[in-house]
Amino acid sequence: MARTISYREAINEALAQEMERDGSVIVMGEDNAGGAGGSGAEDAWGGVLGVTKGLYHRFPGRVLDTPISESAFVGAAIGAATRGMRPVAELMFIDFMGVCFDQIFNQAAKFRYMFGGKAQTPVVIRTMYGAGLRAAAQHSQALYPIFTHIPGLKVAVPSSPYEAKGLLIQSIRDNDPVIFCEHKALYDATGDVPEDSYTIPFGEANVVRDGDDVTVVAIGRMVSVAEEAAKALSSSGIEVEIVDPRTTSPLDTETILESVENTGRLVVVDEASPRCNLATDISALVAREAFGSLRAPVEMVTAPHTPVPFSDALEDLYIPDAQRVANAVKSVAEWKR
Amino acid sequence: MGESGATVGIVANPASGRDIRRLVAKASVFPTAEKANMVQRLLSAFASVGVERALLSTDLGGISAAVLRALRQRRSGRDGPWPDVEFCAGDPITGGAGDTINAVRRMRAADADLIVCLGGDGTARVAATACGDVPLLPLSTGTNNAFPQLREATVAGLAGGLVAAGAVPPERGTSRASVLEVRTGGRTELALVDVCVSTERHVGSRALWQPASLTELYCAFAEPDGIGLSSVAGQLCPSPRTAPDGVALALAPPEQARWVVHAPIAPGLVVPVGVRDWRPLRPDRPIELGTRGGVLALDGERELELRGDQTASLRLRTDGPRCVDVRAVLAEAARLRLLCTGNPEGSVNDDGYLVHIGRT
Amino acid sequence: MTDTLSTSVAHELDENALLQAYRTMRTIRAFEERVHEEFATGEIPGFVHLYAGEEASATGVCAHLDERDAIASTHRGHGHCIAKGVDVKAMMAEIYGKKTGSCQGKGGSMHIADLSKGMLGANGIVGGGPPLICGTALAAKQQGTGGVGVAFFGDGASNQGTTLESLNLASVWNLPAIFVAENNGYAEATASTWSVAADNIADRAAGFGMPGVIVDGFDFFAVYEAAGEAIRRAREGGGPTLIEVKFTRYFGHFEGDQQTYRAQEVAEARENLDCLKRFRSRVTETGRLEEADLTAVDTQVSDLIDAAVDEAKAAPKPTEADLATDVYVSY
Repeated sequence: MARTISYREAINEALAQEMERDGSVIVMGEDNAGGAGGSGAEDAWGGVLGVTKGLYHRFPGRVLDTPISESAFVGAAIGAATRGMRPVAELMFIDFMGVCFDQIFNQAAKFRYMFGGKAQTPVVIRTMYGAGLRAAAQHSQALYPIFTHIPGLKVAVPSSPYEAKGLLIQSIRDNDPVIFCEHKALYDATGDVPEDSYTIPFGEANVVRDGDDVTVVAIGRMVSVAEEAAKALSSSGIEVEIVDPRTTSPLDTETILESVENTGRLVVVDEASPRCNLATDISALVAREAFGSLRAPVEMVTAPHTPVPFSDALEDLYIPDAQRVANAVKSVAEWKR
Repeated sequence: MGESGATVGIVANPASGRDIRRLVAKASVFPTAEKANMVQRLLSAFASVGVERALLSTDLGGISAAVLRALRQRRSGRDGPWPDVEFCAGDPITGGAGDTINAVRRMRAADADLIVCLGGDGTARVAATACGDVPLLPLSTGTNNAFPQLREATVAGLAGGLVAAGAVPPERGTSRASVLEVRTGGRTELALVDVCVSTERHVGSRALWQPASLTELYCAFAEPDGIGLSSVAGQLCPSPRTAPDGVALALAPPEQARWVVHAPIAPGLVVPVGVRDWRPLRPDRPIELGTRGGVLALDGERELELRGDQTASLRLRTDGPRCVDVRAVLAEAARLRLLCTGNPEGSVNDDGYLVHIGRT
Repeated sequence: MTDTLSTSVAHELDENALLQAYRTMRTIRAFEERVHEEFATGEIPGFVHLYAGEEASATGVCAHLDERDAIASTHRGHGHCIAKGVDVKAMMAEIYGKKTGSCQGKGGSMHIADLSKGMLGANGIVGGGPPLICGTALAAKQQGTGGVGVAFFGDGASNQGTTLESLNLASVWNLPAIFVAENNGYAEATASTWSVAADNIADRAAGFGMPGVIVDGFDFFAVYEAAGEAIRRAREGGGPTLIEVKFTRYFGHFEGDQQTYRAQEVAEARENLDCLKRFRSRVTETGRLEEADLTAVDTQVSDLIDAAVDEAKAAPKPTEADLATDVYVSY
């Protein structure tokens, strides 16, 4: 039965259901139990934004508090995954990959190939990304393209509470290392989510909205930005088809290409900075695979090539918004040779 | 005081305080920086009693480097005096016991009047074999030693300096230690505290903490407040350092022995040790050890592995190193007022102040 | 009033165990010396770092381990692999980049692994292993297997944040983890007496609330005892230990290293300290093993290495069909 819950609650529910189902699932992260002085047990924070709140008591010994020591505990999650556990480690902000990236991209990502197919590393690294909370340059980046670049990693970027629950359960059950990117500005977003456990397979994009005029591929929180733009555009007669890839690795190229073959026009909306991101990647894909279908140049709506600024006046300019998306859609819809 | 132009040597073992007892017995960790600080406190004390030259051992563990750094950073007029410091850097450093022996030999060759050794029982034992008749001041770097004393280095340095400078004569300030001499095959080794026969087969990680493997124990002395194997005798049949006799014990598993002594055989380890029998150990009477292919531990460290057919003998000798008795030296210094001077003139009022300042 | 103590671990070594220890050390030595020779012919590709001289460490530690236990290794990993039971012929084939190798030719010398043996891989990243071992130890603790994790790392890695973070985490979580710092005196060509500010790596243990001990890395029995006590303590829930093993490597940092930074010490170590020589003389002098038994092992090992090299040379290389396989379990 579906009911309306938040993105945060959906993630929490996914963790709880998987921990209930599978004793090898453990959760670790900073401030999981912190926040109440001494033991922290009575008022466990459940992480800095409370995503794992309640699990500490419900699953004694399986929700581990960690020092602020990302290399060690992310590495520990990876090591434990090679020995029969299914750890879910919380890397508080995706920006902190800078202090533990070796364990992710030189260790977890490489094991299976480097060891000749004999390793399984079913680890999930949950991490929050994205701008909008005035958290400035070191707590706001959208770095999923960096993980997407690495063979051996899978990358999920859920756009809604429904997606978050289904993709997280799939991530935990998946036998490869998964980077699970939660947008921090979505935690309070609500949506219909089934109570029962369910999975959303990786590499299967979701067509969020049908339309024949322009394909908009949007990643993570940009899906709702695209939806807002699509609503406005519809009233002016442009019907947008929105594709949410759900996972950037693997990437459902087929659904994207099919949509572009129908519309002949593509706008990619990516909150990441503009070089070597999903927008450039998907643009190149379409230029190569669907060149004959294109009736206009591809447009990309991304953040500028700058660090994320602090001041609201600047950060609001930094994040792609519905107006910029609508402008891009209009420009490709109206493009004439 | 301090008329002699005395020379002292300081040997500091960088490796002491790192062995497996940290793992099996919560033994203390003694940082290198503190060993270097001890050397510097000794130097200050030596200078204050007229020692003019200090010879320091060198090591790769950071002690001599730290002292050298401190030496270079000394501010003239601000920091108190030190003797002239020379490093014994003539021998290659091996990281083994040979480094201590080489340093002590060089110090003797340079006419040292005193040799201070910083380390544990093992370091003192090695220094004692090489120091000959030169007075030895063994200082403990840690809490797990029976022979070297855990002493504040400044105080110990004052006592050692007074002996080195001849201000306190050796017959008042030093005492001969007894040693246990062990011979087996072609080797002769000395122990300062105890020799133990164990059924362990390998030297391994050297330390000894398994009472079940012990069969015989010989102590040059045994104090009730001692640490290590000699503490077994220290509680059952103590034998003071000053007595010429030692003590010999026959050990057995606790359930088969006449006595069971709960002894601190290592820091953090109070264990039952079974004693079948004990008797005084008389000087200069060789004893055959019943080894049967085990190992011999000297001062708590396994040192000699014996083949099944190999024999070993032991003898208590009373001609061990001349050790500085810090308490006796400073008591003598007090009696002679060696560290006290009076102002040369003027009378004193009832509160002890000079009535008029005589100096100009 | 009293602690109870079991008997010393070195005491447990019966004649079979002694012979096995010798076989392991001899296999490592013969493997490395042969790779050294073969590398010079130009037939072995890539970077190769040899473990010769350090055999007592891997052997003395791994002699206590079983299938419950996992180890992580370093770029100098052949010895750890052999000591943990990885197939020697598959290792040699891997070094030659062959399809029959431990990793089907996709890993090479720096990445030989066999997870079925609890060998989590040699590791090309200095300091890469300790965090992983926190994880294997955590898994053992969660699963209640009584297993331990052992992270081998070098003096270079002792300065890496990953290593120091792992020491801390292992104490915070009271993990059954053993950290074996193999201090061979040089991180590449840089002396540890310069690069390790703490004088002894073992001294760092105090700052992380665990015991730190130093053992003579040329002495199998010393390593065996210290590791045995640490591993027993870890299995019983006593928490992590840092063991610093001091010795010298016999070859350069990598094959081809001219070693201008050191001269005499290797020859002296080979002559006077060598772990195989010492082991051999001690077990024969104390009458525990016969010369003939040991010589027989030498011959068997030599034959094994000959066969490993011959088979590796003859084995097929992976093909284009292998290029894109095994990146993921599923994708």
